[in-house]
Amino acid sequence: MKKLNIILYTLLFTLFTGNLFAQSASQLEGELKLGPAIILIVLLLTFILVGVFNRAKDTKTYWAAGRKISPVGAGMAIASNWMSAASFLGMAAIMYGSGYHGLSYVVGWTGGYVLLLILMAGQIRRYGKYTAADFIGDRYYSQGLRGVGAVLAIFISFSYCVGQFAGIGLMFQWILGIDYVWAVIIGASVVLTYTLISGMLGVTKNMQIQYVIIIISFIIPLFILTYKFGYFAWLPQVGYGQAISDIVNGIAPGGGITSMGHDFAILPSPEFAMPWDPATGQTAFQWLAICFSLMIGTAGLPHVIQRFYVVPRAKDARWSVVWGLFFICILYWSAPVYSAFGKILSSNPEVGKLSKDAIVVYTAQLADLYPLVIGFLAAGAVSAAFSTVSGLLVAGASAFSHDLYFNVINPKATEKNQMLMARVGTILMAAGVAIIALMKLGLIAQLVAVAFSLAGCTIFPLFLLGIWWSGSNRTGAWAGLLAGGSVATVTLVYFITGKFGVTLPYHEFINYYLNAWYFAWLGAPLAIFANIVASKLSKEKTPIEIKKFLAEKVHNYKVV
Amino acid sequence: MTEHEKYEVNFFKPLSEHAKANTKLISRLAIIWAVAVFGFHFLLIIVTTPTPEQTLNDFNSVWPQVVDDTSAPVESKQLFAKSILMVLGKNIAVKDNHKTVLKDALSWSVYNMQPDSIKPFYKSEPNNAAMTIGLGAEGFDKIMRDLLPSSLVKVANSSLSNDSKKALPEIMNLYLIHNQSFLTDFKFLGFPFHYWYTAQFLLILFVLLCLYYALSIDRMNKEYDFVEET
Repeated sequence: MKKLNIILYTLLFTLFTGNLFAQSASQLEGELKLGPAIILIVLLLTFILVGVFNRAKDTKTYWAAGRKISPVGAGMAIASNWMSAASFLGMAAIMYGSGYHGLSYVVGWTGGYVLLLILMAGQIRRYGKYTAADFIGDRYYSQGLRGVGAVLAIFISFSYCVGQFAGIGLMFQWILGIDYVWAVIIGASVVLTYTLISGMLGVTKNMQIQYVIIIISFIIPLFILTYKFGYFAWLPQVGYGQAISDIVNGIAPGGGITSMGHDFAILPSPEFAMPWDPATGQTAFQWLAICFSLMIGTAGLPHVIQRFYVVPRAKDARWSVVWGLFFICILYWSAPVYSAFGKILSSNPEVGKLSKDAIVVYTAQLADLYPLVIGFLAAGAVSAAFSTVSGLLVAGASAFSHDLYFNVINPKATEKNQMLMARVGTILMAAGVAIIALMKLGLIAQLVAVAFSLAGCTIFPLFLLGIWWSGSNRTGAWAGLLAGGSVATVTLVYFITGKFGVTLPYHEFINYYLNAWYFAWLGAPLAIFANIVASKLSKEKTPIEIKKFLAEKVHNYKVV
Repeated sequence: MTEHEKYEVNFFKPLSEHAKANTKLISRLAIIWAVAVFGFHFLLIIVTTPTPEQTLNDFNSVWPQVVDDTSAPVESKQLFAKSILMVLGKNIAVKDNHKTVLKDALSWSVYNMQPDSIKPFYKSEPNNAAMTIGLGAEGFDKIMRDLLPSSLVKVANSSLSNDSKKALPEIMNLYLIHNQSFLTDFKFLGFPFHYWYTAQFLLILFVLLCLYYALSIDRMNKEYDFVEET
């Protein structure tokens, strides 16, 4: 025991005196960074231990976390579940590369919560199902739709995971100093092991702790950045405003501020802040389409919707969104700070070309921050991706084993068989995601946006009409899915074939108006329209027991 | 009224007073949300006008004279080179193929301005190039000096290629014209106003809308004596 203590104290002393990080601050990448690696391992072990102490006793407890969680706690869980590699790394990356265009992701990923709250949160909780597929199958009284809902949930989780794996790969590449391919393979193996170990552990409790770690690791560097470069440091989220104006007008060297031997200076670069600047190659239409698609996608993501089942009452579901959005916004107010300082600090030609998706960590390095802070930041990025990936893999695997295998394919399956299918599903999904992540199809935020558009075209219309119009029936649901699914299919076929160098007819037109990052702007309204028209045209009526349930239980109508 | 009609749920045809109040609240918040996000951006689209940077005016004042007339004044040639460096300094914003054209044009102009005696060293001695262009040691000139080593490339011909001549004005327009208006020029908390509005205010508004909705529904449920199912 005494020996163990000595080892622990030595390790802690070394960590805090920064010896382990001595090389990491002076070199952007290329070798093993022991300090960040240790911080990362410690964090992951902490998450597993917290999970062990909060282990769920059965499936119901696991899914609903006992429904004992407070709105603030549920809000933290929503935020942790939400804040992935796309939020932590991807948003700053897209703003770093495309300036104001990147803010469409910031607005899209927060504004969707308003829709989610006012249109769905309380009602979903009152409906009382555990998964999105359960709701769809039940509301539209169709096993077939339940199956499709499950397949969609798997597909959405899958595409959401691709961006996360890319982020994990980049951070492992940075920490271990290895090739991206090996980084993805190692990262995927670690996250898979972590998920298989922690799969049935206290997920909700863990998410609250992960939120605190993610947000602290993200915010600490901001205070140092703004202080070091002479901006208002008491509130960096406001202080960086002057930095944005300075980028527009240029910062002349000579103020005595340098970092890693380079002047803190930049030539006038209005393209960073001006709306849909021609230099970025992005248009106003794309800004609006991305923003809209991400918003409705937010209100249709299965793993987000499912968070409302873990709170005791509909009132708590609503308040958990309020808190969740506030906690999320803390990170979203902060992310542009990294892109702004990254833009200035990387403007010196000696810095060379940096991976945009790692700009958060590179900014901290280029600012020559204390190595412990940079290591913690990188570990925070991996934690953000891990917390989301493990939740998505579990959700995807559960949709496979519970909604698809047990409810549709083999209703006689034993608990043991379902568990086995869940594990097989998790492994297959992780392997598939890793392979796609290796293809580097886009930036992290863009890859994740595909999942949002997919959810916006398919799940969102089913929930929106399912809750607010009892006239929407099974035929309408199929028609809506067909319309939304067709738009998604056309888009993804053009996107994937394009990546393999195949040029299909009208590809420029399709790639612009039905881009993989924002096709829901058309798919979602079309799916809603098709659902309404088909429901009206069909003679089929929504069963009276479902109408009664909707009116009395979901909307609290006191029918006499 | 049939059984089906009695239990009809329709957002636009609320059946109870509570549902009516809820529909009204949701509609009001949705309108604020939509106007704040999309209304503002439509306004931004309407009011912004393409505005050139001073660098583009400088470039246009000497282009194409510098390229077509070798006897053009040195000051014009220097202005031409500086304007190209100002664009190259935008770094990650500039596409690789555009950088190639810009570097060709810059190198060609510097090479042709230098006396024959130092031409062989024009690439290896960026300080000579800096003097040729007339760059000082301070301010933005210092940044441009730092750009020179990575910007000078081998000059193949004594005149600029036709492809470069054709592409250069388009490239300069692309990187030096920006969508600006009173909404982008006005400063708030140090930010250009539109940037603050989108990056900060909209997020604050979203949180406030959610807070208002949660409070209103709680109040409404009390008012209409609704006990939500647990």
